[in-house]
Amino acid sequence: MSVIATKAPRPMRAGRMTLRRRRQFAGFLFALPAIALVIGFIGVPIGQAIYYSFTSWNGLTSQWIGPSTWSQAFHNSNLWTALQNNALLLLSVPFALGLPLLIAVLLHQRVAGWRIFRSIYFMPTAISWVVLGLVAERFFAYQGTLNSIIHAFGFAHTNTNMLGYESTALSALGITFVFTMIGTNTMLFLTGLATLDPTLEEAARIDGAGRWRIFRSITLPHLSRFIQLAFVMTVIALFSALFSLIFVMTGGGPGYATTTMEFLIYQTGFNQGDFGTAALYGIILFVLTGIVGIVQLRLIGSNE
Amino acid sequence: MTTLATPPQETNEPERPALITPRKPKVGRWALFAVMVGVAVVMLYPFWVMIITSLESEQQFLSGGGFSWLSWSGLSSTIPVGQEVLSSTIVCSASIFVILCVGLPAGFAFSKLRFRTSTSVFLVIVSAMMVPLQAILMPEFVNVTKLGLTGGYFGAILVYAALGTPFSTFLFTTYFRGVPDELIEAGIVDGLGYVGVLGRLIIPVAVPAIATVTVLQFIQIWDDLLVGLLFIQNTNERPITVGLAVLAAGRTTSIPELMAGSLVSALPAMIVYLGFQRYLVKGLTMGIDR
Amino acid sequence: MAEITFDGVTKVFGDDIKAVDGLSLNIAEGEFMVFVGPSGCGKTTALRMLAGLEDITSGTLSIGGTVVNNVLPKHRDVAMVFQNYALYPHMSVEKNIGFALKIRGDSKAEIKRKVDEAATILHLNDFLDRRPKALSGGQRQRVAMGRAIVRNPQAFLMDEPLSNLDAKLRVEMRLEIARIQRLLGVATVYVTHDQVEAMTMGDRVAVLRDGKLQQVDTPQHLYDRPANEFVAGFMGSPPMNLLRCHVRAGKDRVQVVFGDQVIELPWDYTSSHDLPPAGLDVVFGVRPEDVLVADAQSTNTLKTRVERREALGSEILVHLSLDSSSDTSQSPRGELARPVALVAKMGPRQKIAVGDVVFVQFAAEHAHFFDVASGETLRSR
Repeated sequence: MSVIATKAPRPMRAGRMTLRRRRQFAGFLFALPAIALVIGFIGVPIGQAIYYSFTSWNGLTSQWIGPSTWSQAFHNSNLWTALQNNALLLLSVPFALGLPLLIAVLLHQRVAGWRIFRSIYFMPTAISWVVLGLVAERFFAYQGTLNSIIHAFGFAHTNTNMLGYESTALSALGITFVFTMIGTNTMLFLTGLATLDPTLEEAARIDGAGRWRIFRSITLPHLSRFIQLAFVMTVIALFSALFSLIFVMTGGGPGYATTTMEFLIYQTGFNQGDFGTAALYGIILFVLTGIVGIVQLRLIGSNE
Repeated sequence: MTTLATPPQETNEPERPALITPRKPKVGRWALFAVMVGVAVVMLYPFWVMIITSLESEQQFLSGGGFSWLSWSGLSSTIPVGQEVLSSTIVCSASIFVILCVGLPAGFAFSKLRFRTSTSVFLVIVSAMMVPLQAILMPEFVNVTKLGLTGGYFGAILVYAALGTPFSTFLFTTYFRGVPDELIEAGIVDGLGYVGVLGRLIIPVAVPAIATVTVLQFIQIWDDLLVGLLFIQNTNERPITVGLAVLAAGRTTSIPELMAGSLVSALPAMIVYLGFQRYLVKGLTMGIDR
Repeated sequence: MAEITFDGVTKVFGDDIKAVDGLSLNIAEGEFMVFVGPSGCGKTTALRMLAGLEDITSGTLSIGGTVVNNVLPKHRDVAMVFQNYALYPHMSVEKNIGFALKIRGDSKAEIKRKVDEAATILHLNDFLDRRPKALSGGQRQRVAMGRAIVRNPQAFLMDEPLSNLDAKLRVEMRLEIARIQRLLGVATVYVTHDQVEAMTMGDRVAVLRDGKLQQVDTPQHLYDRPANEFVAGFMGSPPMNLLRCHVRAGKDRVQVVFGDQVIELPWDYTSSHDLPPAGLDVVFGVRPEDVLVADAQSTNTLKTRVERREALGSEILVHLSLDSSSDTSQSPRGELARPVALVAKMGPRQKIAVGDVVFVQFAAEHAHFFDVASGETLRSR
C-alpha cells in the first residue's frame, strides 16, 4: 500500500476520555509509589514519634503518660548537654562554609592543573564518614599524627589527647566535621562561581572596583543561593550524619562531651531501651532542623 | 609639536591578580599554586594514612614503623570482608533500583503530568528531605521490625529508598521540566500512551539525570552507618561500613587491619566517584537552577 | 471521507479566557486550509483541539463524520508537524520517521518500505542514519514532515512549521510543502501568522482574530473582497490603506470627504447603509496598487505630497500625505513631514521625489468602505 494511495476511512473509537483526564490520571498513578514511600516511611513515623513521645515505650509495649514526659525530659541534664553540643558545633558551620568558599575562589583562578585539584579536593567526600572518623581518631590520638606534627615543630614534650578530654573532644569533632564538608561545599561554590557572568566582573574592574569590592558586591550576592543551599546541607549533615563520626571517634564521650542530639537518640533508644524518650528527642531534633531551615530563609534571603 | 592627549598612565599600584584574566605576575601564580598543593596534601591525608598504616603489621605499628602485608592478609580473618562488601553491593544496587523505579515516574508526573494538588504534594515530598533520620528512627525501627523486614535486606532497602526518594524526585522533576512539551505531544499524536512516553521518550533522554542520582545515592548508601547498623540484624549480612564501625569499637582491634578494611570500603566509592564525576557536579547544581 | 467540521467550537482557559470563540467551518477532503491571524488569535489552539491535545469546552468537532470531542489523539489518525519539529533526539532519522508505524505494529519490512518512500519524496535518503542534532534546520523540518507523511493519516496538522527557518529556506519549503500536499491529497490544516504563506499555499484561508473567525475564503477572494476592516488590513503587503472619511450625498454619486478635499465615488450599498441626511462617517480602504497617479488636469483627484519613498527594485512604495487643496507651493526642503495618509505602489521607473506634489485617483471597483464601529465591509446591493 503506497503512501500515496487514496485514503480509506479508518474506523475511530469514540470514548469518554479526553487527553487531559488521561494525563491527570497517569500523573497521579506515576506519583503514587513516591507518595506512598514518603508517607509510609517518613510521614507516618513522624506522627508515631509524636504520639510515642507522650508514652513510656520500650519498643514492644507502650504506656500512655502524657505531657509529663516532656517536662521530665527537659529536666534531664543529658538532653541539655546534647543540645549544648549541637549549638557549639554550629560554630563550626561558618568554617565549613568559609573555607570551601576560599578554596573555590582559588580554584576559580584556574591555576595550572586546577581540574586535578578539584578532583582531589572532592575525594574525601566519596568515602564513608566512618572511615574519615577512623582516620581522624588516629590523627588526634595520643600517639597520633597531630602529636607527631607538633613534635616535628620542636615541641617535643607537648602531647595532646584531644579526644580524651571533655574540653577538647568537641573541638576535634568539629574540626573533623569541617574537613568532611570541604569537598561538597567547594564543589557547590565552584559551580556557582562558574555560572557567574565574567563580563560583570570586567565591567566592575573598568569602573575601578578593587578585588575585595568586586567580591563583596558582585560575587557574593550571586553566590547567595549557593551559600544558602550549602548552609542547609551543612546543618542537616551536622544534625544527622555526624552520628557516624561520633560513633567511631568518641562513642559520645568522654562522658557526654561529644554526645549530640542525633547520638543521644541512638543511645537512649538502643543502649538504654527507652524508646519513648528517644522518640521525644527525635521530635526535638526535627523541630530544631525545621527552625534552622526557616531561619536560613530569612537570614540569607531566598526565592523559594 | 601638538600631540594627542596621552593615554592615562597606569596607576602606581602593583598589578593585582584579576579574578578572571589569565595574565598574572609569576610570584602570585606560584604562591597560589603552592597553596593549592598544600590544600591537596591535606585532602589526601586520609588516604595517605590508610595506605601507610595498613602496610604495617600490628607490632610494627605499635613500635613505630615497618612494612608488611600481614595486616592485609589478616583482614579477612578478622572480619568477613568479602561477605560484607557483597552485602553493601546488594543493598546499594537494590536501593538505587527502587529509587529509580519510584523517582523517574514521579519526576515525570510532577513536571509534565500535572494533576490537581500535584504542587502541594510535590512540596511535601521535597520538604521530606529536611527530616533527619534520627527524628523518625524509633518508630521506623519498630515498624520495620514488626513487618518482619529486619531479617534480610528488605527493611534497609526500603528505608534507604524512602530516604532517597525526596531528593531523587526533586532532581528528576527539575530535569524533566527542561524537556520540551512538544516532544511529549509528538509522541502522543504518534500513538503512545503516557506509559509509552515515559519508557520510550523520557527515560532515554534522562540518562544524565539517572547517572547523577545513581552516583549521589551510591555514595550516600554505601557510606551509611546508622541504617545498616539497625535495620540489618543478621550479622552475616552486614555491610562493610557497619563491619568497620563494629571492628573499631572493639578492644582488640589491630589498627593496621582497621585501616586496610577502611581502604576496602573506600575503594568502590572512589571508583564510582571518579568514573562519574561530571554527573555529580550536574546534580548538585540541579537544585539551584530551579 | 476525511472531512473536518468545526461546529461552534469554543475553548475557554481558566475562568474567562476565550482562546477560541464559536469557530465553525468545514475542511473538505484533500483541501489545504490555512489558519492565519496575529499572535493570540486562537489559530494554534484550534489546531491543537483538532489534534486532541486540548479539550474542547463547547461545540463539536468531527473528522470524517465522527464526532471526536472525546477521542484521544492516537485514535484520530491525524499527524502533526510542530513548530520546533519535536524530533526524538535519541533516535536516528529513520527511526524518527518510522516510530508511529512501529507503535501501530506494522511489520519491519512494511516500515522500511514506507520510510524509504517518504525519505525519497523529501530527499532525505542520505540522512537516514543521522541523529537530529546532526541535521540543519531545513533537514529537521523535512524529517518532521516525513514523520507525518509516512502515517498516511486522515489529516495533516502543521503548526507554523516554517517560522524557525531563514527567509530563503522558507520560500523553498513553502513550495515543497504545497507540492507534497498536492501529491498526497491529504486534508491539511496549516497554521501561520505570515499572510504571504497563507496567500501562496492555501486552497482556502481562515482569518482569525481574538478567537473569532473573521472570514474564510480563497486567498484571492480574501484579498479582493475582505469581509471586514481587519481582514482587509491583514491580508496583502504592504497593507491596504485605511482612512477615516465622511460620505455625503452628491448628484448620482456620493462625495467622499478627506480632510478638506473631496472626491466622488459611486455608492452602491444596501439600504441599511442608506445615507442619512447629515452624511456618514466611514472607513475608506484602497490597496496601494490601486492608488493611481493622475495628471494635474484630471478631475476627481486627491492632491497629495510625497513624504517618503522606498525603492524596492521591482517597484517603488511612495508614502503620501494629504495636501491641502489651497496650497499649491512646493514644500521647501527640511520642512517637517506631515502624517502619511496613503501608500501607493508605483512602477520602478516612475520619476518621483520627496516633496513632490502628486495627484492620485482611485478606481471605483477597488474602493472599499467599512463601517466605523463594527469594521464590517459595507456590502454592495
